[in-house]
Amino acid sequence: MITIKELSDDNLFTAGHTACPGCGVAMSIRNAIRVLGKDTVVYVPASCAVVFGTTFPYGAWKVPFFHTAFENTGACLSGMQAAFEKKGKKVTVVGFAGDGGTYDIGLQSMSGAAERNDDVLYICLDNEAYMNTGIQRSGGTPFGAWTTTTPVGNVVQGNRRFKKNLGDIVAAHEIPYYATLSIGQPLDFIRKVEKAKNMRGFRFLHMFTPCIPGWKMDPAKTVEVTKRAVQSGMWTLYEIENGDKRITYKPGKMKSVKDYLMMQGRFRHMSEEDIKKLQMWVCKKWNLHYKEKGAPDVCEILPPVEHHAVTEEHREMHGP
Amino acid sequence: MAAQTLAEAAVSEGNYAVAFPYFGAERRGAPVLAFTRIDSKKIFSKTQVYAPDCVVVLDDSLLDTIDVVAGLKPKGMAIINSREKPEDIDLGKIIDTATVNATSIALEILKAPITNTAILGAFAKATGIIKIESLEESIKRKFGEKLGAKVGERNALAAWTAYERTITGKSRGVKKLEARKQWLPTHQEIPVGGCLIEGKTDAGLIGPGSFIENKVSGWATYRPLRDKAKCTMCLLCWFYCPEGTIVRISDRGDLMTNYDYCKGCGVCANECPVDAIKMVRARI
Ligand SMILES: Cc1ncc(C[n+]2csc(CCOP(=O)(O)OP(=O)(O)O)c2C)c(N)n1
Ligand code: SF4
Ligand code: SF4
Ligand code: SF4
Ligand SMILES: [Mg+2]
Repeated sequence: MITIKELSDDNLFTAGHTACPGCGVAMSIRNAIRVLGKDTVVYVPASCAVVFGTTFPYGAWKVPFFHTAFENTGACLSGMQAAFEKKGKKVTVVGFAGDGGTYDIGLQSMSGAAERNDDVLYICLDNEAYMNTGIQRSGGTPFGAWTTTTPVGNVVQGNRRFKKNLGDIVAAHEIPYYATLSIGQPLDFIRKVEKAKNMRGFRFLHMFTPCIPGWKMDPAKTVEVTKRAVQSGMWTLYEIENGDKRITYKPGKMKSVKDYLMMQGRFRHMSEEDIKKLQMWVCKKWNLHYKEKGAPDVCEILPPVEHHAVTEEHREMHGP
Repeated sequence: MAAQTLAEAAVSEGNYAVAFPYFGAERRGAPVLAFTRIDSKKIFSKTQVYAPDCVVVLDDSLLDTIDVVAGLKPKGMAIINSREKPEDIDLGKIIDTATVNATSIALEILKAPITNTAILGAFAKATGIIKIESLEESIKRKFGEKLGAKVGERNALAAWTAYERTITGKSRGVKKLEARKQWLPTHQEIPVGGCLIEGKTDAGLIGPGSFIENKVSGWATYRPLRDKAKCTMCLLCWFYCPEGTIVRISDRGDLMTNYDYCKGCGVCANECPVDAIKMVRARI
């Protein structure tokens, strides 16, 4: 396994790109390509990454790079891979798509490539909204978050839906590899990219990538915020290899979700009631991922009795 | 928001006006543009403004790198946030210029270096296109709606103060700023499908990796200073820097920060486990 020290010094995604200071997407791309190396071909659909990485006629990529439309990452990767195979070239074909380009508009295309088990690496850079066009809500936007299409009003404040469970959707295609990553866990990050690179078939890396203006946060805190996301259970680190799920990092003790929300202006308006709703969603996820068989449920803020009771909130969240 | 406020003030005086931001990939920290068109007749033009009557500059450090008056009409005017007098400002042309220290006014009154309302006061004074009273109303309404009446009033006061402190005169016209060359290929020179390979043109590099010629240090307000004695070479800063501006040198035994590409985000300082990195003001 590669350690940080052994990573390459090659800047295959050069400095001089135009991402916002502190951009989590840029940070993740740079380190992914450090591990993937020069025998890589990159596709990026419409998103921040295509704009800050390539502005015709300039580009930051030093590996072959291709861009067409927003909704077709999966199909493009499949086509590129087929062409390289025909030519007898051994390269890693990798796509970097946003959450909008994956959860929503690119879902069918991704699903096609996954279902055919095409030999490509699909990377989703999840910054939890359509950032490039000015912060609109996507299927990846968490509950309560402000976006321009889920504004904060007198009656309703922020996004009303919970983050779509993309992991299960992707895994349901029974692909060789799905993993979640966070830049705040460097060794786990490097190991998963390396592993995905060396496997064959459809591989999916789901990266948690903070966005400074979209999350309304201090650019210096990009890494810190990913760490808090993991500590609170808002983001869980695991991998599913040929159907076997494995937690790759379990935080010691669950931290309150408030700890995570506090750092970001997009959650600042949240009422106690909404925070409680989100906390319950997180607890459910936490127990699903981390709870050992037979152990009692844990939840940071709610006593277990209340948690098990079927309340109005439960119905709203999980159905009757 | 300032462009919008100005347009609303003009409308309140019975004019027609439109305001809009630069259409493009706007990234935080990068220099930005906004436009306002004011006319006594209906406005049908929907394009960006290429030959303005008046240019307003909120950050005078831009004057070193960008020819801000390049498109200005011959009888046009420049309004600049600066502590200098117009006579001490070199725009490469002798033109009517007004200056005001909007930053110090903003710090004084708003307690933050947000200069867009103060500079509107200077605009009213220097051009006379709108009355300061209409501006006051428009600022109060616009900012009041969003941020509360108090904030609206303070911003109006900032505009008034700037109005009173604006100095008008003429700029100097000594320096020659070379406009950044652009690659302007003929249609035969554009490769099929826009597919570029690494190339060198009169305007510099194009194609893969050519962003390396794009110096972004102008974005930074702060920059990192590393205390070599404290550093344990854990490489976390090197790993996390989103710009790739921290590089390994001396056979990987040491690090160097290339400030040409540092945007001053502060991630390296925040993540250093031994507090070896401090952020200091990039410019004074
Ligand atoms: C079919 C189509 N619809 C809309 C757009 C406009 N568009 C370009 S990028 C973008 C948002 C991308 O969001 P996401 O995929 O989450 O990437 P991010 O910018 O957040 O990294 C949109 C809506 C487009 N290019 N094509
Ligand atoms: S808007 Fe967000 S994702 Fe896009 S470049 Fe800026 S920080 Fe990165
Ligand atoms: S301040 Fe940001 S851009 Fe500058 S060296 Fe540190 S991490 Fe890199
Ligand atoms: S993070 Fe701090 S200790 Fe580690 S290499 Fe950078 S300066 Fe040195
Ligand atoms: Mg997004």
